[in-house]
Amino acid sequence: MYDALPPEFVGAIPADTSMLRLSFYLLAGLVAVNGLAIVLGLVTLPVFFIVLYVLELGLKVGAATGFTAFKVAMLMLRGLRRAPLRTALTYLALFVLTFVLCFIYAILTLVDNKLSDKDSNFKAIMTEKFSIPSMMKRSYPDRIAELAMSMDEGKRPVKGRSDVMSWSFFFGTTDPKNKRPENAVFMFGLDPLRVIDIDKDGKYFSMLDDDLVQGLTSEQRDQLYAACKAIEDDPRKIVLSKARLDSLGVEVGQEIKVYSPAMYKDIEFTFIIADVLPPGKYDGLGFMNNRYLFQQLDSYEGATTVTDSATLARKPKAAGVKHPLAEKCVNLVWIRLPNKAALAQLAELAEKEFSSPTVKLETESAGIGSFMESFKDLFKLMRYVIAPAMIAMMSLIVANAIGISVRERRTELAVLKVLGFQPWHVMALVLGEALLIGFLGGGISASLAYFQLQQVKFQIAFLGEFKVPAMALVYGPLLGMIVSFAGSIGPALTARNVKVSEVFARVA
Amino acid sequence: MATALVQVRDLYKSFTRGTERIDVLRNLTLDVGRAEFLALMGPSGSGKTTLLNLIAGLDQPTEGSITVGENHISEMSESELARWRTRHVGFIFQFYYLLPVLTAYENVELPLLLLPLTKEQRRKQVNTALDLVGLSNRMDHRPGQLSGGQQQRVGIARAMVTDPELIVADEPTGDLDTKSADEILMLMEVLRAQLGKTIIMVTHDPKAAARAQRTLHLEKGQLVRDTAVLV
Repeated sequence: MYDALPPEFVGAIPADTSMLRLSFYLLAGLVAVNGLAIVLGLVTLPVFFIVLYVLELGLKVGAATGFTAFKVAMLMLRGLRRAPLRTALTYLALFVLTFVLCFIYAILTLVDNKLSDKDSNFKAIMTEKFSIPSMMKRSYPDRIAELAMSMDEGKRPVKGRSDVMSWSFFFGTTDPKNKRPENAVFMFGLDPLRVIDIDKDGKYFSMLDDDLVQGLTSEQRDQLYAACKAIEDDPRKIVLSKARLDSLGVEVGQEIKVYSPAMYKDIEFTFIIADVLPPGKYDGLGFMNNRYLFQQLDSYEGATTVTDSATLARKPKAAGVKHPLAEKCVNLVWIRLPNKAALAQLAELAEKEFSSPTVKLETESAGIGSFMESFKDLFKLMRYVIAPAMIAMMSLIVANAIGISVRERRTELAVLKVLGFQPWHVMALVLGEALLIGFLGGGISASLAYFQLQQVKFQIAFLGEFKVPAMALVYGPLLGMIVSFAGSIGPALTARNVKVSEVFARVA
Repeated sequence: MATALVQVRDLYKSFTRGTERIDVLRNLTLDVGRAEFLALMGPSGSGKTTLLNLIAGLDQPTEGSITVGENHISEMSESELARWRTRHVGFIFQFYYLLPVLTAYENVELPLLLLPLTKEQRRKQVNTALDLVGLSNRMDHRPGQLSGGQQQRVGIARAMVTDPELIVADEPTGDLDTKSADEILMLMEVLRAQLGKTIIMVTHDPKAAARAQRTLHLEKGQLVRDTAVLV
């Protein structure tokens, strides 16, 4: 391809490494999740064997009642106990598979939820139409709110101005001379009462995150509300996640100076840490009052000296010169609307109203969809390649383990046939053992993924809290059993077709 | 022989290995009477185990017919044969083939799980069988905890727990020391004499065969000698 270019251009074209990096991150993520799953699988192995033992005790009691089914089930359990190492490895394979797929399922469910449209009481998102990143004027949020409130009764935002929220992204560092992830600060500049507020009925609500109020304890809600009120009263105050506080090495109440060489160049921000965000919520992030951002941008215009964001040295500046981002400091505007008709009308009004820059108004899901366009292939890869590949791989592992077990027990299975067991009895015995491991492996894994990850609590950017859906508790054991079935059906058929006379002829 | 339990008529059994056809049994006809103890002898490859498997319903003949009691087993399907075996045939193997994960009691009980019996009926039959082989005090032991002779006795208890009319034994003493072998043969004689079981035993051991009432010698798939022993 390069041969066709003039010689002076060859070498000037940088190699596109984005796919390579993405593949690396994906691979690293998968390895990490698999590693975690293996560790958890090993840790839960004793639990698995204890469950088997308890089941056997239960069956023993059942068998004492004389029911043949209990006796046959006990035969299966004892079959599993015969080769503990192989049983453990099969369990481990199924555990890892289910755990990783629970992760993938949780991510895909989260994305699907965010990308599925609601018909009523949904959030719309306004962004700049032709530019990424979107940078709108600071008058836009108020104006779109006015336009929204000018619509007919049934189309207006129900909570009025409280249903409109603007976001100004803020990237900064506490040490511009030595920029490192540890001293980075990323915050959303917004009206702090959009994070959490109290409605006229005295109930908490959040424009920021529909799940926020439900996900907090009453003490956490009170604390967060108090922090937001404090930020509202003193715009220099901010609230950060615990992880970010630890990383910065600062405490609540402390004052910090933050510089933003990449965005709000040559402006010095002095923040006071009002409080810490509830654990697991918006890890790594923080919230600031956008009024403070706007104040600092206004102050910049009149200043004659400023602090250089890179060197921290004072330097002269011509008075009256606006900051380059002074009128480009609103990145997103969110509006909660009662129905699709309201969205259509407001979109039309916004298109007429805002011309420099022009804007687009779309549903939250469509907005997030546009944002995630570049990740689309990654999600497809997860859904259509990684998940099926893992299922196929684990089925092969199970097939191998059960296959070895059947080969080892050929004579024993033949003896069962000699004693009068029907071919399907023998097949059911092999399948039953595999399904039991599948059920327990999948069940324990999904339960651990569901209950433990709920405790860990972490948020993926503004997509909301990452959690394993409760349906995983159903799908986990089911998946384990399906994979076990797929892996053991071949060996089970072999067991079914064991020819007694051939087995004994070989033995003899 | 007034009433034959097993009637074998014009029996052929052949296997195909590649393109080659191997005739294992050729035009074999024989009767085994009720409560008869029959030994099958012959060199390796003479077809004695194949004949035993056919009579026990573990395999189907290529030609000919086999009738056991009222049942034409050469015409039965695999499922029918399995059901028939549960009720009508007991098996004793050279290497016992007890399930290592089950106790002696559970091993003996195994064939009964396939029959519509109550727990009490099962217990009674298992206890009777273990009593008969003298292992009532070892019923909770696993095969690994028993000697070879004891394991074979459990095998015999398992073979007769369903009270079958026919017991087939393939080299039942082949893996045992002389004393244990003698005990097992004695037990088989008791089964025949006191319980009226018909026993067909494959053996290489002339001493074991001498305990039978009749010995059939096979060579190259055909009966070459029929030796009756006066008891």
